[in-house]
Amino acid sequence: MEGEVLASLRSVSKRFGPVVALDAVDLDILHGSSTALIGSNGAGKTTLLRILAGVYRPSEGTAVLGEGNIVDHRRRIGVMTESTGLHVRLTAWENIRFHARLFGVEDGEARRRTERHAGPLGMLGALDRRTEGFSRGMRQKTALMRALVHEPDLLLLDEPTAGLDITSARAVRTLIQSLVEEGRGVVWSTHDLSAATLCDRLVLVHNAKVVANGPLSTLLASSSVADAEALHELHTMEATREFLEGVDVVS
Amino acid sequence: MNSWHRTRTIASRELLDFVRDWRTILTMLLIPLFLFPLLFVVLPLVVVGQAEELTATEAQVVVYGTLPTALADALVETNVVLLTPPANSTGVDDDEQNRLVREGSLDLIMGWRLDEEDVYVVHLRYMSTASVSNDARSRVVNAIAEWEESERVRRVEAGGMDANVTLDPVRFDSTSMDLASQSERQGWLLSSFIPLIFATWMVSSAIQPSIDMTAGERERGSLEALLCAPLPRWELLAGKWAAVSTIVLAGVTLQVAGLMFALTYLAGPGLLEMPRMGVAPILLLMVAVVCFSVMVVATELAIAMRSRSVKEAGSALAPLGLLVLVPAIIVQVVNLDGVEGVWFAVPVVNVMLAMRELLLNRVVPFHTVVWLSTTLFYTALALAYAQRQFDREDLVLGAS
Repeated sequence: MEGEVLASLRSVSKRFGPVVALDAVDLDILHGSSTALIGSNGAGKTTLLRILAGVYRPSEGTAVLGEGNIVDHRRRIGVMTESTGLHVRLTAWENIRFHARLFGVEDGEARRRTERHAGPLGMLGALDRRTEGFSRGMRQKTALMRALVHEPDLLLLDEPTAGLDITSARAVRTLIQSLVEEGRGVVWSTHDLSAATLCDRLVLVHNAKVVANGPLSTLLASSSVADAEALHELHTMEATREFLEGVDVVS
Repeated sequence: MNSWHRTRTIASRELLDFVRDWRTILTMLLIPLFLFPLLFVVLPLVVVGQAEELTATEAQVVVYGTLPTALADALVETNVVLLTPPANSTGVDDDEQNRLVREGSLDLIMGWRLDEEDVYVVHLRYMSTASVSNDARSRVVNAIAEWEESERVRRVEAGGMDANVTLDPVRFDSTSMDLASQSERQGWLLSSFIPLIFATWMVSSAIQPSIDMTAGERERGSLEALLCAPLPRWELLAGKWAAVSTIVLAGVTLQVAGLMFALTYLAGPGLLEMPRMGVAPILLLMVAVVCFSVMVVATELAIAMRSRSVKEAGSALAPLGLLVLVPAIIVQVVNLDGVEGVWFAVPVVNVMLAMRELLLNRVVPFHTVVWLSTTLFYTALALAYAQRQFDREDLVLGAS
């Protein structure tokens, strides 16, 4: 199973009226691998994640999970959105239980799974508290537990460590690593390049296109730069140059 | 897990969120419960209290002319203080006296004289915008009317005629009767305002939860998390619709409970009682309320979901409460005995007319078919529109 393709995008484009949010993207997510999605604000990362989550349908191309369309397999996907999307008048557990029920997970089983994740994340004591008083970090961890409660094959995380202290961020990374070791595919959108380097693959998104895709070591070797930051800069500059060369300039 | 369970899960979550907010509970549930009791207890108490307070207040009246003793005595009995004008006063036109009335230190100027035709001419100057001055005028007019009655009798008898026969030549038989029963009269009275209150309440009470569960969820980011769940959009709509409808119907039910309590225990037999209704009108009334709530909630959810933000949704929905007032007021003046069938096909008007008829314990088959079929049609349209809005791919961003 490990190393096999879990989900794939083929020539996927997404348009909103005249705006091209994603342009001819090809991407494979493998079982038992982590993929970091990096790029500037507005590059297209969120659109890409939403297509992988089945929230958007591609305007062109195909988005496949296993043998079928991603939209029809949302049960196998867990999503942690950047805003966390918790209901503040509900406790952390009630938020998680709500989603568990929508995914068909029985309450007792959902509670066992939640407590299993809550321990390492330091959230056991906060499960039955309303989330309105939670810090950003606690909300992030609650949203992560919610995304995991139905044991998805593909986990999509939007900035999962943003706002977390060092210890919490490390706990989240450890948890994600253990999920990868269990054979799940993890896609992690982040601005944190140092965190991205811990992933098996880096996908650089710029101006709605994937401009680099592969293991960090391979990308560094083929680009003659020293680190991920320089790699990011190099590719985004290259992509901008290519983009401008393709534009008819009328002087 | 099937559609029913998922829809129920969404509705339950929305309701749990709702009941955790005491401010919303106060607004959406307690106000409807206490609305009618307050109307039937507090309002009459305030009105009676104010009237008693006004009656107990002395009214300062300056009189030009000489009042008959009986009239003067009658005025003094009603707390009127009769004042003699200052010696240098020029009459009712006296600027100084008029100024005192305008300032409130004097309540009324009264001129009284007997003209050459033996008719008493009364001249009154008062401030209709000042409570005591206005009340002083009422006391004077009432006292004069009573005195005039005795003066009329005196003059007729002085002419050698029987005042009783001359002044009262037509009389209604004391056994004349209204064939409408007490409960029919109560139903007629209640049918004129209950549909108005119910309709405006349903429209206005659905606004806040509709916005909160759509545009509000989008702003808080929880809608995106929900859209990632494996459920069709219609289930999302159904769950939210069920939650808002439950809240609205709970409010209406509490209003009815409050109304029944007020009519039974507070209003007293002389004022209002519960109308007697048959089983069919009661069932049809419930159908009308449910259909109307389905239509209203679906429309409001759709409009709120179309909006980009909570603010925009509020601006779009707030006028609805006022808009429904127009057909509601029209319904109050429509003559039910000669009403054309077409009125039972007009949106909103049809449900409210139906409520009026049913509260009068009337079930007119033709009207029932028209309002029921058109209401179901409008309800289906509203649901289709809502479904279209919920099916938008840019739901997570807000429609443009």
